[in-house]
Parts: sequence; structure tokens; C-alpha cells
Amino acid sequence: MNPPGSLEGLEPNVDEHLSTQVLEPSVNSDNPQERIQARRLRIAARLEARRREALGEHLDGKKESEEDQSKSYKQKEESRLKLAKLLLCGTELVTNIQVAIDIREIHRRVEEDLKRQRIEKLEDEVKTSQDKFVKITSKWEEGKQKRIPQELWEMLNTQQLHCAGLLEDKNKLISELQQELKTKDDQYVKDLKKQSDDICLLLERMEEQVKNVMKTFREELYHIEKAFEMERQELLASNRKKWERALQAHNAKELEYLINRMKKVEDYEKQLNKQRIWDCEEYNTIKIKLEQDVQILEQHLQQRKAVYQLNQEKLEYNLQVLKKRDEESTVIKSQQKRKINRLQDTLNNLRSKYAKQIKQLQEENQSLTLEYKRLMTQFKELQKAVRHFALIDDEKFREIWLMNEEEAKDLIARAFDVDRIIHTHHLGLPWTAPDFWFLKNVGPISQQPQKSTTQIVEEMLLRTEEEEAEEAASESESYLDLPKQISEKTAKRILMLLCDESVRRGRAAAEGLTGVFCCRGLCRASALGIESEDDLYKLVSFFLQYRAHHLSSSLQSKPCSQASVEEASVEETSMESELELAERTEMEGEKEASLVEGEKGEEEETPPSPWVIHPNDVLKILKAFVKGLRKPRDSQAPLRVQKSVRSNSKDSEYWRALTTVIPPSRLNLWDALYTALEKYHLVLTQRAKLLLENSSLEQQNTELQALLQQYLTSKVGIRAFQGGVAGGGGGDRGQELAVGNKESPPHQRRCDVKNQQWHLETITGQRSRSCLKSPPG
Amino acid sequence: MQDNVTSALLDPSHSSVSTQDKSSTGGHTSSTGPQPSKLSSITPVPAKSRNPNSGANFHRMRRIIAEDPEWSLTIVPLLTELCIQHIIKNFQRNPILKQLLPEHQQKVLNHLSPDLPLAVTANLIDDENYWLRCCMQRWPVCHVAEHGGSWKRMFFERHLENLLKHFIPGTTDPAVILDLLPLCRNYVRRVHVDQFLPPVRLLAQPQTGDQSDSGSEGEMEEPALDHYQLGDLVAGLSHLEELDLVYGVKDCGMNFEWNLFLFTYHDCHSLAATIKACHTLKIFKLTQSKVNDEKARIIIRSLLDHPVLEELDLSHNLIGDRGARGAAKLLNHSRLRVLNLANNQVHGPGAQSLAHALAHNTNLVSLNLRLNCIKDEGGQALAHALQTNKCLTTLHLGGNELSEPTATLLSQVLAINTTLTSINLSCNHIGLDGGKQLLEGMSDNKTLLEFDLRLSDVAQESEYLIGQALYANREAARQRALNPSHFMSTITASGPENSGIK
Repeated sequence: MNPPGSLEGLEPNVDEHLSTQVLEPSVNSDNPQERIQARRLRIAARLEARRREALGEHLDGKKESEEDQSKSYKQKEESRLKLAKLLLCGTELVTNIQVAIDIREIHRRVEEDLKRQRIEKLEDEVKTSQDKFVKITSKWEEGKQKRIPQELWEMLNTQQLHCAGLLEDKNKLISELQQELKTKDDQYVKDLKKQSDDICLLLERMEEQVKNVMKTFREELYHIEKAFEMERQELLASNRKKWERALQAHNAKELEYLINRMKKVEDYEKQLNKQRIWDCEEYNTIKIKLEQDVQILEQHLQQRKAVYQLNQEKLEYNLQVLKKRDEESTVIKSQQKRKINRLQDTLNNLRSKYAKQIKQLQEENQSLTLEYKRLMTQFKELQKAVRHFALIDDEKFREIWLMNEEEAKDLIARAFDVDRIIHTHHLGLPWTAPDFWFLKNVGPISQQPQKSTTQIVEEMLLRTEEEEAEEAASESESYLDLPKQISEKTAKRILMLLCDESVRRGRAAAEGLTGVFCCRGLCRASALGIESEDDLYKLVSFFLQYRAHHLSSSLQSKPCSQASVEEASVEETSMESELELAERTEMEGEKEASLVEGEKGEEEETPPSPWVIHPNDVLKILKAFVKGLRKPRDSQAPLRVQKSVRSNSKDSEYWRALTTVIPPSRLNLWDALYTALEKYHLVLTQRAKLLLENSSLEQQNTELQALLQQYLTSKVGIRAFQGGVAGGGGGDRGQELAVGNKESPPHQRRCDVKNQQWHLETITGQRSRSCLKSPPG
Repeated sequence: MQDNVTSALLDPSHSSVSTQDKSSTGGHTSSTGPQPSKLSSITPVPAKSRNPNSGANFHRMRRIIAEDPEWSLTIVPLLTELCIQHIIKNFQRNPILKQLLPEHQQKVLNHLSPDLPLAVTANLIDDENYWLRCCMQRWPVCHVAEHGGSWKRMFFERHLENLLKHFIPGTTDPAVILDLLPLCRNYVRRVHVDQFLPPVRLLAQPQTGDQSDSGSEGEMEEPALDHYQLGDLVAGLSHLEELDLVYGVKDCGMNFEWNLFLFTYHDCHSLAATIKACHTLKIFKLTQSKVNDEKARIIIRSLLDHPVLEELDLSHNLIGDRGARGAAKLLNHSRLRVLNLANNQVHGPGAQSLAHALAHNTNLVSLNLRLNCIKDEGGQALAHALQTNKCLTTLHLGGNELSEPTATLLSQVLAINTTLTSINLSCNHIGLDGGKQLLEGMSDNKTLLEFDLRLSDVAQESEYLIGQALYANREAARQRALNPSHFMSTITASGPENSGIK
């Protein structure tokens, strides 16, 4: 069997183990053991030392005791180790049995595989036997059909044989199994026995172990006690020995000391005697020497005394000198003190002066500041006056300008009239009135000329409207004191509100109005709000102001709201129809901004805090704003105009232009015309004279004719008369001539007139011809 | 037997009486059995001695002493003494104890008979000496240490154990045990029963029937084969901490039948319900009871999330891998500190599941898988688990057919792990190389104190050297235990020395 073998195999192993460790240290294990022992002791010693150190004890003092202790400690350690080993080995010895049984159990379990094999075998067997059985039973059926007895017998025989075989097989199996069972039984019995043996062994060992342990514990205790006892004995013995040794040594030393002392006493006595003698001699010599010294010293003393005397005198003299100096110094000191006092006085004086001065200066300063203030007010007044005068001056300037302009324009009108008359009447040419810009100008020239040409044209077209609008825009100024001082935020905010509200406002306006402006109201509203920055600022400040006077103004604003809506719509229509209006307002806004900046210095109002304006108020405010925009303000307008910076550059040009309203070419024409007319005048006067002459001649003629008639009538006179007319042709000629020429001179004159007429016709044309015709008519 | 014990008990008291003449009380109350006669014999003595006392003649007195062998110096007992005597005599009918003065109580207790009915004494007497006498009277061998050092507890525990051991279901009246319950409920902390008798069958049957018959009958009668149901008892014991049960019959001798060792499903279910209901149970042992996987799982399921259970011992059963898996689950669902599955049929997979549970467990301190068959696959899994586990201190893997691969892994574990103090690898096939590797692992370990490699084919040299290393570790541990304040310094000081020893 395996298990007992293994157990037996184990035991020597254990024994060996034991022997190697505890019972009898062999050659191999002896050295390491001792080495370990030594090392352990060393460790213990070190630990001890460390502990000592930790406890702060003196190592030196305890060293001996430590050595003494070490023996018992050694014994203790030894026995502890021995006991530990014993316990360990003992438990190992005892548990060895358990381990052996364990391993036996494992082997048994391995053997249990046989069981499985057996079961398989049995199953196989069952299967084969079943087959056989089936075969046999099938043959029974066969047998029943057999009729021939021999065959039946044969078959029965074979059946019997088969059955016997089957039975034999089964029996064999059974016997095998029984055999196995028996062996197993045996094995079981053996196992039981073995186990009981093991248990006995275990008990035995345990008992043995207990006994051993008890014994060894007792032994070790005994050993330890013995060790302690021995140690004590040794300690006692060694201490006693030490004590005795110390005593002996002490005695010996005592004796030695005694002898030494005696010797020393004798020596000292001898030495004393010697010393005495020597001292006596020395004393004498020293005495002599000292006496000599005394004499020398006395001499020295005399000398010293003399020196002393001398020094005393010197010192007295010095003292005197010093005293004098002291006096002097006191005098000087008093002087200095006085001086100090004086200086102190002066200092005080100066201080008081200084304080006074300060006060004075302060007063002065105050008076000066007052003066300054006064001057400032004066200056302001002056400025006001200046402004006032400037206004007046401007007014005067304007008046004068207007007057002059009027005069000039009259003159120009007259010139133009003259020109027109000349052209139409004299020259028979069509006259066109020259159109110059300056002709339309009324009042002093402003910045208008800077505008673009298109704007100028538009302005000329819409002159009247513009003037009105200008005024209207300028009116807004009164509301807008400080557009730029309002913070961006507030502006933005109000703008936002406005943007929101513009829609509504537009609608409200649309509702108030006829449906014409309905769709355009929105964009217009935005245009009004945003188009110009200044307008915006105006609006903002207007808002703020409006807020401030909300309660008071709300009452007033209500009744006129309806009217303001209409007005606003009117303005919007105008703006809608004329885009330039917005531009204009913008421009004016710029202008006003500059103006306002000028004013700002005086009208410094604190910027109102950004109040939250309720959207519902916006509409009202805007209405008020628009209404305010439309409000006429005559008093403010001139103020604004006066304040514009005038440029004189254009004035001279303007006036010069006025002078050159009739161009030089026309003047030349006029001159030429003048000379021609002069000539014509001359001709005409001559002709008038001639006409007079003619009329007088005709009269004479008629008189003469009457005379002739009379003469003829009187027949005598006819001849005479004919002769007299022929003679009278030369004025003072005879009547004969006059009668002779009676027919011929008018013909001649007619020819002359005809010549003259041709001349005039060449100069004056048709009209003059008609004029010439008219006198005969 | 009992007589012998009593006489043995009486003998010293007699001797004490003879040695101490003054204290006659010892003589009076030494035992209740012979008391009447003794009292009658003693009481006349003082009557006699009163005369010499009254005479006050020393000479005469001395002479009388010589003449009368019964003579004693004792005087008439005090009234208190007499009262105490009376109380003792009539304790059964009229128990008076708490009302007495402490010294009188002591006297009464010293002289009470251990045979008094438990109904009287159980809840009245707390004196250890009385229960010591009771125990000594009933049982020749008493290990009071096993019962927490309390004699009273020991008495009740063993008394209960006796009753349970000899309880025959169907025959014995259950009231026998349940009557005891109110008396012992406060004292019993441990129930250790190593046999449960099956119900008695008709006498004729076992005699006539052969094995196969009895087997079939056993199956038929299985419901009747249930053992005593502990439920009521355990529910009544309010301080029960340990339950140690063996479902089997002891000393059956030639009456052996397999049926005697049958742990039925009904038993199992009722036991499971019992332990589940018992929230004070700390230790539960169910050994040698043919617990198979199914039953083990039933029991373990009832133990899941048990509030205080610390030790579970299912050794010497038939638990296989499924049972082990259940135990593994229990590991992480309870506060189990000790698990013993020795001598079961756990194979590789079961051990692997245990290892998986062990890898991150922080409660288990001891694991015993002795005499299983986890083989290398299980051993390696456990070794891997030990690389991360920081709690296990004791591991028993004896007789598990482990071989070199496991040893290789274990040597790595030894180098890393600092909590293990005891490993048992006996009865395996570690082999020479495995031994060497373990030796290498040991050289890096400073905490292992025990390492059993017996009969595991390890070279003697390496076993010896491992033993040396263990010895050094033990010394270091001892030093640490001796002066924990110098813990660090000793470590540093002894470190090089130990290495030198190796």
C-alpha cells in the first residue's frame, strides 16, 4: 500500500529535519547555527544599545551589567529558540500524519477512476448480455415452429448451451465483483485499521508532543533559572573577588602611601633647615640692599620735591591764566546771549510781519478775486453789449445795404428803361432784360453762394419757400440748447424708441390725416428722425426737456395735438414732394450746431439724466416737437443772422457787378447813337429853320400873289408884277425875278428836300421817313 | 459513573473538613445525599461538648477529647447558619437568594445541590462556582475555554447539545427542547451538534430488508427522514453566535445504513430559513453532511447579505464547482472573514470563480481549499487574484494537484504581497523547479510566517532554505510585536542581518 509507505517515508524526513534543527546539531548545520546565534546576539546587543540610547542612559555605566546580563539573556534566547523549534517541529510531526492522510486520500481519489471503469464495464456487460438474451428469446419462437423432435432437441440443447454461457458470464461477473468487493472490504478494513492506527499514532504523538513540550518547557525553565542562578553566583563571586582585590589593592596602596609620607616628612625637614639658613643669609643681603635703596630713594624724593615745587608754580600760573580766560568766556557768553535775544526779537518781529503780510496778501487776493469776478461780470456785460451792438451794427449794415441796394437798383432800373427805350424806340431792336444773380439779391450776401449749382437753381426756383423754411428751421434752435452734451447712450436709446415708435407715429399721423400719406408716413417719420444728426440731438434734448416739463406741458399739448398732427402732415407732404428739404434741414442743422456751440459756453445746463421715456409718451413728444418746429419766432431770426460770420469778399464784387450791369459794348453803342442823334438834331434844326423860312417865303409869295392879283386886276400892274416876281427870286431881288422864279424855286427846294430826305432815310430809316412825310401831312 | 464522580467530589470536602476543624460548615453541606445522617451525627456532638465548656476545665476537656473521637470544638451554629441551611434544604420549593446578604448568598450558592431542577436555577443563579459544580458533576471533561470561559454558558450549551443529540423526531416530544428555551435563551451562544438522529422506523424493516430494499424505502420515506428542525430553537436563542452542525449519526456501529447520513432537502430548506432569520449568527459550520451543490447553493443564498456572518465552514461535503461559485458570490455579498471548503469537490472553474471574487475582496482573511481538485488552472487563477488582494492572510491549498506553473505565479505573488502570513501547499506536485522558484519568491518576502511544502516534491535544500527565510520572518515579526515603538528601527536593523542569515 502506498500511504503507509509514504508515511514511513515522511517520518525519517521529519526526524532528519528535527535532528538538523534541534536535537543534535550535525557538522553541516552546526556552523550556520552558531553563526546565526552569534549574529542574533549581535542584533540583540545592538538593539539593547539602541534602546539604551533611546532611554538616555549612560552606556559606560551599564556596560558591565549588560555583559552580566548577556548570559541569562543568552540562555533565555536559546531556550526560546529551542522551544519555538520544538513547538514547530512537534506540530509538524503531528500534522505530518494529517498530511500523509491527505495524500493518501488524494491517491485514493485517483484510484476512484477505477470505479468509473467498473461502471463502464458493467454497462458493456449488460448490453452484451442483453443482446445475447434477445438472441435466445428469438430462438424460442423459432423452436415453437419446429416439429421434428430431433431438431427441437438439438435446438433446445443449443439454447441450453447459450443460456449456460450467459449464466456463466453473469456468474463470472458476479464472482469478479464479489472478489472486488471482498478486496475492497479488505481494503476498507485495512483502511479503517490504518486510520485507527494513524489516530493512535496521532494521539501518541500528541501526547508525546505534549509531554515533550512540558518536559522541555520545564527543562528550559530549569535551565533558565539555573542560568540566572549561575549568573547570580558568578556575579556574586566576581563581585566578591573584585571587592577583595580592591581591598587588597587599597591596603597595599595605603601602606605605600604611609611609607612615602614618612620619607617625605624627613625630606621636608631637611629642606626646611636648609631653607632657614639660606633665608637668613638672604635676609641680610636683602636688608643691606634695601637700605641702600632707601638712601637712593630719599635722594630721589628730594629731587621729586623740587620738581613738584616747580610744577606747582607752573600750575598756579596756569590756573590764573585759565581763570582769566574763564572770565573772558563768561563775558563773551553773556554777549552772545544778548545777541541771541536780540536776534530772537528780530525773528519774532519778522514772523509777525510775515503773518501780517500773509493776511494782507490774502485780503489782497480776495479783493483781487472779487475784482476779477466783477471784471468777469463786466466782461460778460461788455460781451453782451458787444453782441448787442453787433446786432445793431448788423441791422444798420443791413439797412444801409438795403438802402444802397435800392438806390442802385433804381438806377439800374432806370438804366434798363433807358436801354429798353433806346433799343425799342431808337434802334427798333427787340430788348431783352439781362438777368444777373445779383439783381435778385436782397440784403447782405450770406454763405449761400457755396451751395452747389443745382441747389442754387432750386433755390432760385423755390426762393420764397426756402426763406420760409429757413426761418422754420431756425426756430427749432430755441428748443435745442445742448444737443451734443447728451450722452450717446441716451441718444441711442431715444433713437431706438423713436424707431419703434416711428411706425406707430406714422400710423397715428396717417389716421389723423387723409389716406393720401398713409403709406409714406413711415419712411417720412424715419427720415425726420434720423436724417440729420443734429435734428436727432435736438429731438433728444427736446425729449428730455419734455420729460422735465411733462406735467405742465401735457395739458397744453393735448388740445393742440390735433392741429400739430395736421401741421406735421403738412410738413411731411412738403418734404415728400421736395427731397431737398431734408438736405436743407440737415445743412441748417449744421449751421445751428455751430451756433449752438457758440452759445454753449453761456448756456451750460446740466445734461439731464437718461430717464426712461415711456413709449406711449413718444408720440406726444414728437407731436410737440413738430409743433415746436413750426412755431414762428421772429425775434430769434435776426439774432441768428447777425451771428453769422460775414465775408466781405463778395460785397465789393457785388457792388462792382451792380455797376457793370450795362456792358461797355452797349455804352459804346449809346455813344455812337448819341453822336448820330446829335447830328440828326442838327439837321432837324436846320430843316426847322428852313421850314420857317419856307413858310415866311410862302407867306410873301401869297402876299405877292395877292398884290399881283390886285395888280393884274388893275392890268397895269400885271406886267410890273411879273417883272417884280422874277426880280424878287433872290430875296432882295426885284419883283421881276420873284415873278420869274415863282414856279422854279419850289421845284428846286423840292429837289433839295428830296436830297436831304434821302440822307435822313439812310440814317434813321422808315420811321424818320414817316416823320418827314408827316410835316407836309 | 455519576456516583464515582460524586464520591470523587466528596472526598476532598471530607479531607478539608478533617484538616480544617474550625469550619464545620464544609462538613455540613458538602453533599445533600448523606446530609441527614451526618447532621444527626454532628448535632449531638456540640451538645456533648457543651458540658466540658461549661466546666471550663482544660484538663478534663483534653481528656474528653481523647475519649470522644466525635468530639469537636465547634459550638452551636449561628442562627444565620441554620437559616442558610434551611434555605439550602428547601431551595427547590422556595428559592431565596437575591434577598440575602452577599456573604450569605455565597454560602448558599456554595452548598446548593447541582441536581436542582433547571427551572429553578437557570435564571436565578449566576454564580460561576455553582455552574462549575454542575458541569463537573455531569461531564468528566470540561473545556470551559471553548465556551467563552463561562461555566453557566457551558452548562447550558452542553445540556442543549445533549438534548439535540438524542432527539428522535417523531418519538421525542419537541416540548423537551422548547421547554428549555426560556431557561437557556440568554446563555447559549453556540450550538454545536455533531449528530442528528433520524426518525425511528419499524424495527422489522431494517432487519429483514437488504441493501437495495432499504435504499428504495429510504427514497420512499424521505419526507419521514427529516431531522429535527432547528427553526424554533434558533429563533428563540437571542444571543446565538455560532452554529456547528453535523447531519450524521455517531457510533452507529454495525447498524450502519446510508440513510442515517441523509441531509434531506427539507432539512436544507428549513436550515436555510433558520440561519437567514438569525441575525446574530457569526459562525456557521455544516460539516460532514453530504451537502451537494444544490444544497450548498440553497444555504449560501440564504446567507447572502447576512449582517454579521464572519465564518462559513462547509468542509467535508460534496460541494462542486457550482457550490464554489455560490460561495464566491457570497464573498462579495457578506462580511465573511473565514471560508472553509476543505475536502470538497471543487475543481478548476470553481476555484477560478473564487479567485475572481477574491481579487477585489477586502473582508476574507482565511481561505481553506484543502483536499479539493482545483489543479493548476484554479491555482493560477488564485495566484493572480492574490496579486491584487490586500486582505487574505491564510491560504490552504493542500492536496490540490497543483504543480510548477502555480508555483511560478505564487512566487511572483510572494514577492509582491505583504499581507499573506500563511500558505499551505502540502501534498501537491510542485516539483524541484517549482520549489526553486518559490524559494526565489520567498527571498523577497518579509511577511510570510508559515509555508507548508511537505510532500510536494520540493527539493530538501530549497525547503530548508525556505524554512530559514520563514524563520527570519518570524523573528522579525516577533521583534515587531515585542517593541512596536521601535518598529521601523528594528526593521532597518534586522533587515541586513536577516539577509545575512539566509
